Amino acid sequence: MRWLILVALIVSTILCASQIEIIFWTHEDPNRTPLEERYIQEFQKMYPNVKITRVTYPSAKIREVVLTAFAARKGPDIFNMEIQDAYPYIVNERVAPVSLSALGLKSYDELRQMYVEGTLDAVTYKGKIYGLPLELTNWCVFINKKYFREVGLDPEKDYPKTWEDMVRVSEKLVIREGQILKRRGFDFRYPYYLTFMLPMVEQLGGALLSEDGKTAIINDEAWLKVLRFFKEWGPNGKNLGSPTYTAARKDFNKDNNTVTMCLSGLYQILRIKAENPQFYESKEWMVVPFPVFEDAVKDVRCNYYGHYYMVNAESSKEKQEWAWKFIAYMLSHPEEYLIEVGLIQPKKDFVESDTFKNYPYSKVFLEDMAKSHIVPLHPKGPQLEQLIKEAVESVMLTNTTVEDALKTLKKKANDLLKEE
Amino acid sequence: MRGVERKKALWGFIFTVPAIVFFAIFNLYPIFYAVWMSFHRKDLLSLKPPRFVGLANYVYLFRSESFWNSLKATFIFAAGTFVPMVVLSLVFAALIVSRKRLQRFLQMVYYSPAVLSSVVAASIWLLMFDPRGLANQFLNFLLNTKGVDYRWLANENMLRLATIIVYFWKYVGYFTIIFVAGMASVPRSVHEAATIDGATKWQDFWYITLPLIKPTTLLVCVMTTIQCLRTFSTQYLFVQGGAPLKPIDVIALSIYNTAIRDHRIDRASAMSVLLLLIIMSLSYLQMKISKSEEVSY
Repeated sequence: MRWLILVALIVSTILCASQIEIIFWTHEDPNRTPLEERYIQEFQKMYPNVKITRVTYPSAKIREVVLTAFAARKGPDIFNMEIQDAYPYIVNERVAPVSLSALGLKSYDELRQMYVEGTLDAVTYKGKIYGLPLELTNWCVFINKKYFREVGLDPEKDYPKTWEDMVRVSEKLVIREGQILKRRGFDFRYPYYLTFMLPMVEQLGGALLSEDGKTAIINDEAWLKVLRFFKEWGPNGKNLGSPTYTAARKDFNKDNNTVTMCLSGLYQILRIKAENPQFYESKEWMVVPFPVFEDAVKDVRCNYYGHYYMVNAESSKEKQEWAWKFIAYMLSHPEEYLIEVGLIQPKKDFVESDTFKNYPYSKVFLEDMAKSHIVPLHPKGPQLEQLIKEAVESVMLTNTTVEDALKTLKKKANDLLKEE
Repeated sequence: MRGVERKKALWGFIFTVPAIVFFAIFNLYPIFYAVWMSFHRKDLLSLKPPRFVGLANYVYLFRSESFWNSLKATFIFAAGTFVPMVVLSLVFAALIVSRKRLQRFLQMVYYSPAVLSSVVAASIWLLMFDPRGLANQFLNFLLNTKGVDYRWLANENMLRLATIIVYFWKYVGYFTIIFVAGMASVPRSVHEAATIDGATKWQDFWYITLPLIKPTTLLVCVMTTIQCLRTFSTQYLFVQGGAPLKPIDVIALSIYNTAIRDHRIDRASAMSVLLLLIIMSLSYLQMKISKSEEVSY
């Protein structure tokens, strides 16, 4: 009897030892969850020795959850975050390079060939690639056609092509009760200033950093003009919008006469469908390109950002291998990610496929993306964005002059760069 | 006899051990670790070991404009919250105690916001402070104005006031209950003696109740001060909701941003140590001031 128990113990120990558990943390996305849960089931069926546990966190929380876990050296095996937040993990060598053997590839060049040019640059560090893109997202302008017609505008012809148009059109669309905006024409996507505001500065010839990366806030005139634009936009100017109102993209889906235009990504289409099927079916919405200034010197559209799946460098080599294998399996279904979640995977063959080309407004997004670049990746990017937020909000919401706001921004941003 | 005393003391100690162990692991250790970390250079994500830098983090903070702004924001918030919180919770407690009926019901009503999570409370108020929300509608109705945006989340002073209102609403019931308990502990015979001597209700409250609940008042003052200096969630959610950071960048929020956004756990630790010192000094000062007036019946 004792022998039997001993044998059973040894057998169960061996079985447990060969079982691999992969912990996978990702942000909440109701449309993506059933899809990836299915991929997990399929993968586990193919490889019964692998168990994958998928845990979701709210988008606003995942940054701190992953950070504290990594600080305590207890990070998940697989995770994803917006690339500007994930970039420090690459620089600090906390993530493992893509395993070519797990993907069945011979070289990183072969991997690069599979993706649209430049889309792996954000995760390339010292010659190696550290992540595979789940999605690349740029924002265009969503329009509620009904409200355009209501004020005598033809949405197909009169949609704003320039930022000056945006002001003119918004003034026609806005409904106020005294100082309170009952309906906004358009409003920005605060506080993602590096994503939507920086391209506006770049259109006028400005930049966040000099080419050598040692000086911040380049071309005062460009920054001043954009700050002036926001001052005019806010409650102290023409009172067309403000960061203190409910996010425009949330109100947009409701189609409740509170906002006519908002900035969002291709995924917004499926969110409209999920939240307000009637509005989705009505086809009373459309998507147009990100505007440019009338006197723009550069045709730059809204910056794009990405979510890349990454693997913890401190996971065992065996786990890393299985993790990459699983990621590759999930990402081998770009069409399903597009149709069911509205996410664009920048794979060459997929972007050229009919599925992508026939997807509503994919052309608008793709054409804009071709004229844009990824959001700046810098170890101090989040702090720089905070400083820009302070500058914009000081001109929009207080009596600070644009000159003073720029002076403060320049000083603080350059002091920040000089810090160790 | 000494043996019995020693045995009682030993058992007393044994019973406190779990609490001491818990406190040591979850409170003392992080405090000592933060003090140690504050003298080092450490990026939260870096695998490099912390490097000793002496007082560099403290020197940086004392030279940093944003740290002084955080101190200012914290003290404005604490000062704006402390006085109404202590005074009005005392008044509400007196009102509850003076009632013969519905005492329990009123206690429950006052206390209910304290049960809500801070995040939920701040989210509800955030909706009310939206320019189209209830706060503007209420003020417009009250002041007989139409369509005026009082800029609850935009104007510096209104934003500070908004965070104070949320905090006051959430915690006033909690401190009211503490005062109610303090007032209930005053022997009824003392009030009866005062009434027989011809004291009015106001005199009874002012000359009997108030001096006799001094320990409770001290407790409420210390707790309010500590809570106000550690305030975080309301400010955090308001900033997430689009409010400007600077006027409400209280120390706890600044610590969070320094650690989580900037990954500078060393500076965040130094800020935590300074906050701890401020809280300890103020609490000590309050206790010292009130010690000379200890209560005895």
